[in-house]
Amino acid sequence: MRALHTAATGMMAQEKNVEVISNNIANMRTTGYKKQRVDFQDLLYQTLRRAGTTTSDTGTIAPVGVEIGSGVKTAGTPRVMSQGGVLSTEKDYDIAIRGEGFFRIELPDGRIAYTRDGSFELNQDGILVTVDGYEVEGGITIPADATNISINAQGLVQVTVDGEVQDVGQIQISRFVNKTGLESIGENLFIETEASGPPVTDDPGAEGMGTLLQRHLEQANVNAVTEISDLIAAQRAYEMNAKVITAAEEMLQATTNMR
Amino acid sequence: MENSLLVGLSRQVALRRELDVVANNLANLGTAGFKSQEMVFREYLMPVARADIFPHGADRRLSYVEDRATWQDFTSGPVQTTGNPFDVAIAGDAFFAVQTPNGVRYTRNGQFQLDAQGRLVTNDGHPVLSNGGPIQFGDEETDITIGVDGTISTAQGVRGRLLLTRFENNQALIPEGSSLFRSDTPGRELAPGEARTIQYAIEKSNVEPIVETTRLIELSRSYQTLAQMMQRSDELRRTAIERLADVQA
Repeated sequence: MRALHTAATGMMAQEKNVEVISNNIANMRTTGYKKQRVDFQDLLYQTLRRAGTTTSDTGTIAPVGVEIGSGVKTAGTPRVMSQGGVLSTEKDYDIAIRGEGFFRIELPDGRIAYTRDGSFELNQDGILVTVDGYEVEGGITIPADATNISINAQGLVQVTVDGEVQDVGQIQISRFVNKTGLESIGENLFIETEASGPPVTDDPGAEGMGTLLQRHLEQANVNAVTEISDLIAAQRAYEMNAKVITAAEEMLQATTNMR
Repeated sequence: MENSLLVGLSRQVALRRELDVVANNLANLGTAGFKSQEMVFREYLMPVARADIFPHGADRRLSYVEDRATWQDFTSGPVQTTGNPFDVAIAGDAFFAVQTPNGVRYTRNGQFQLDAQGRLVTNDGHPVLSNGGPIQFGDEETDITIGVDGTISTAQGVRGRLLLTRFENNQALIPEGSSLFRSDTPGRELAPGEARTIQYAIEKSNVEPIVETTRLIELSRSYQTLAQMMQRSDELRRTAIERLADVQA
């Protein structure tokens, strides 16, 4: 009874769908979060009768064949890397990227991670860090007596010390040919993979790069209405596949009861 | 007497196949670009076995049932907007062409991505074909837009047009899984404007859950009815044997 297995693949696929939707909803308020979606593909077909086979001596051919599919599989869970809404926060070290690009973060093991989450802080040495304490690449140090911290759209960080404006660093951002191919490692961070291609790093506002917006944060790009309607659709699809299993089971039972 | 059992059996086998098809349709409720299938049955007149037990009238030939074909429903599925620049749906009768290691394949699933080299690929990494072969974007090419006639342009200018193919007879397309179809006869490349492409949208599966569920009920009920019928004829035979063997000594 192939139908049992086919319906089981359908139930497993919808289960995965619900897992991804629930993660999207859970991260609705996560800064810089990019929603995921599940892409499905049909499985192999068994051809019981091939279309185009000759059906008589006069050369007539079967216009259609008998092909029976064997279910569904998950092809991938790509992220939708669209721009999230930008929210004003009035906090000096909150930075949002408008357009393409990721902030470059130095991980403790020396690798570079990429993020759209620009809610930065200063550590005990005055260095710009993420909420987890990882340094933003460039080692931007804000002097203790600095006032009027300003980060412009091109990533230049300027402070006023004793009434004089001075440059303290430059934030650079990276973009990828295939940003969907980045690997998520949690904590809003991504790392480069074979699929993403190497990063292209430049100042914000350069050719193809987005610009920075100080005192703003990028919200998650999750749309609650879409997620809930997707959740309803996934749940119904799950139930229908369960119905197929019940029907197949009843048919088997009818066969068993014949004797 | 066995004939009634065999006729019933032929229907039961066909019903099981139909259940497989319904199960596959329902399993692919969420598969973008999936086309639902339907079983087509036909009467099969048995050439050898004859029911010649009737004393009057001509012999009546026995008719069995046979699953003749799976009909593919190529009507368009609903189009859902996704906001993803590499999602493309087709409005009209046409297919995207995809270069796979086994040759060119066709699909209605427009969930495309870029790979590490910047090529436009399907979920499985097979390049999508334009009128000039696979499409590759450079590092500097942003703002990728796909026009209604399939024209792909970036900040650097026009990069080609998505290859859309139409077939004389869609039923001759053979599903290969992974949302791909194979064709033994070449299709016709469409000129601009013959079918429309919609960027930021995907075509969902065209499976109608209500239709499939009613079909499911219908086939599980007819299977049970058949099982009962076959049980009855089995009882009939048993009774006949009992009665006939019960000769008065």
